[in-house]
Amino acid sequence: MNKYAFFPGCVAKGGCPELYPAAVKVANKLGFDLVEMEDVGCTGAGVLSQEVSDPINARTLAKAEVLGLPIMTICSTCQGVIGKANLRLQKDPEYREKINRDYLAEEGLEYQGTTDVKHMLWILGEDYGLEKLKEQVVNPLTGVKIASFYGCYMRRPSDVLQLDQFPDRKKYLEATIEILGGEAVATKGKGQCCGFPILSANERNSLEMCGNHTIEAKKKGADVMVTPCPLCHLELDGMQPRAESHKSQKIQLPVLHLPQLVGLAIGFTPKDMKMERHIVSTKSFEKQIQWIEVLSKNPV
Amino acid sequence: MEVTLKIFRYDPDKETKGNHSEYAIDVDENATVLDGLMEVKSSHDSSLSFKGSCRTGLCGDCSVQVNGKGTVACRTTLAKAVKKGKDGVVSVDPLYPAKKIKDLIYNQNDFLLEKYKSMKPWVVSNLAHGAREDEVSDSTIKELQRVMSCTMCGLCDQGCLVIAVDEQYVGPAALNKVYRVVMDPRDSSKREKLEFASGARKVWDCTHCFEATAHCPKDVRPTESIFELRDMAIKHGIGHGRPVNHHKSFAASVKNDGWLDETRLAIETEGWFNLPGLLKLGPVGLRAFMKRKAPLPYFLHKKRKGADAIKRIFNKWERES
Repeated sequence: MNKYAFFPGCVAKGGCPELYPAAVKVANKLGFDLVEMEDVGCTGAGVLSQEVSDPINARTLAKAEVLGLPIMTICSTCQGVIGKANLRLQKDPEYREKINRDYLAEEGLEYQGTTDVKHMLWILGEDYGLEKLKEQVVNPLTGVKIASFYGCYMRRPSDVLQLDQFPDRKKYLEATIEILGGEAVATKGKGQCCGFPILSANERNSLEMCGNHTIEAKKKGADVMVTPCPLCHLELDGMQPRAESHKSQKIQLPVLHLPQLVGLAIGFTPKDMKMERHIVSTKSFEKQIQWIEVLSKNPV
Repeated sequence: MEVTLKIFRYDPDKETKGNHSEYAIDVDENATVLDGLMEVKSSHDSSLSFKGSCRTGLCGDCSVQVNGKGTVACRTTLAKAVKKGKDGVVSVDPLYPAKKIKDLIYNQNDFLLEKYKSMKPWVVSNLAHGAREDEVSDSTIKELQRVMSCTMCGLCDQGCLVIAVDEQYVGPAALNKVYRVVMDPRDSSKREKLEFASGARKVWDCTHCFEATAHCPKDVRPTESIFELRDMAIKHGIGHGRPVNHHKSFAASVKNDGWLDETRLAIETEGWFNLPGLLKLGPVGLRAFMKRKAPLPYFLHKKRKGADAIKRIFNKWERES
């Protein structure tokens, strides 16, 4: 049974309101049992000082520990930041004790260091299994060229990714694309920064990154891009019109959240996946998958 | 062990662009890329130029790209590099995006040293001339050992994703260095250094992508140093403008509501009285609104359950720091 303490994060319910319902629908259809953590805080996203985000994250980890469940995230940044806090708290019992004593005791909580934190992508790759996911595919994305875009915190640092234990964590996105019937397009940018974190500090550099990644994917023939990170989505989808002006060229690359791509292949409609909420129209891609469906049911 | 090295060759006196030449060499099983380069120089072509000094990863002199990845040549074995090379050939190139001087030698001045110098990375002591020695305790300096072990090899700057799009960005190597000095108990110019580091194309331009930390051969973790510089700047009320507004608004929203209020964040980052900035948000906001993508306006943003507990954590942290 895949039962998780579900940590949706801020953006899946804020700037990317299409992500939350898509993730829940897909998880339910795959038979995951999700217990949503509603009373926990933002991870700090690498913006807040570790001195205050570590206690907030320790509180989240302690609450999942009480439930006896691993945490499921749907955001690369949430995963990276809470994962890093978890590593510090697990490795250093003295530090953990101090946080428990100074911040959690008042609420009657104590983190013992046993909670596991996994992004939905890792859960598909490790707990659920991609072979099992393949069995659920009813609308294979045959022939669709899909560029992957991980988000920094799903690539680095390697100790937080636990690459020694799970060496394939940097390959799950392409593996998932292939399992869903699509064709993974290899890009140089897939593991790089999307540009979102510096949108306020240096807009030019941020839009340059957004433009470079979407243009590279488009040049290599991608019909669509997929990301497990809603912050990357805000940049690559939301800022794409601005990147187009910055780069003085049309890009028009639809960008999907990971659960949306999985959802379409396992039988949900674009409407179920709230794809009408994207800034860059997904219509071309939707037509493409409609044709795949028609052709697969009416072989010539 | 027989290995083929594909080395970038460039002679500015003879050509405008470089090209690659292949050399087959026979080396010991444990040979490093640096050993391989020395073998090429002694047995194939004595005109090959590269740098290298200590041969034990202490001086940071022999940084090159091996199979397209930045590394120090003396800490990379050829046996390992062969496995990752294309068709078993090990490619060796100068660091990117530094300007090339000859073969594998690149211009350290523009790429690294001028940026270092701009940060004034030295201790400014308060002691009058002739006063007794400025002492540092073992325990304080021990905490700095991580950042002090930087060898200025340049690999973090080579991996930096911001430098890749903006060569003027000061980069993780220089920021790590300034962090090292700011943390030194003898330094009396902490505030000036933090102010300078908070200026344009410095500490706030970092995307915290962790490439610098991933590229460092000495586990210096420059990305962490940048995080700490930012925290210190905020704590000391240093810096202004959009990135600092962003940081403050982010913290205020998590403190009060338990989670992020993105509408408030977007407006407060620009500043309530920054009309051009707010106007620029218009099209982005409108596009999001039309797609029913925009988060609720901030006065409708609901507090998370548990927001009180988060606020308590914030208050306690603020009191203690």
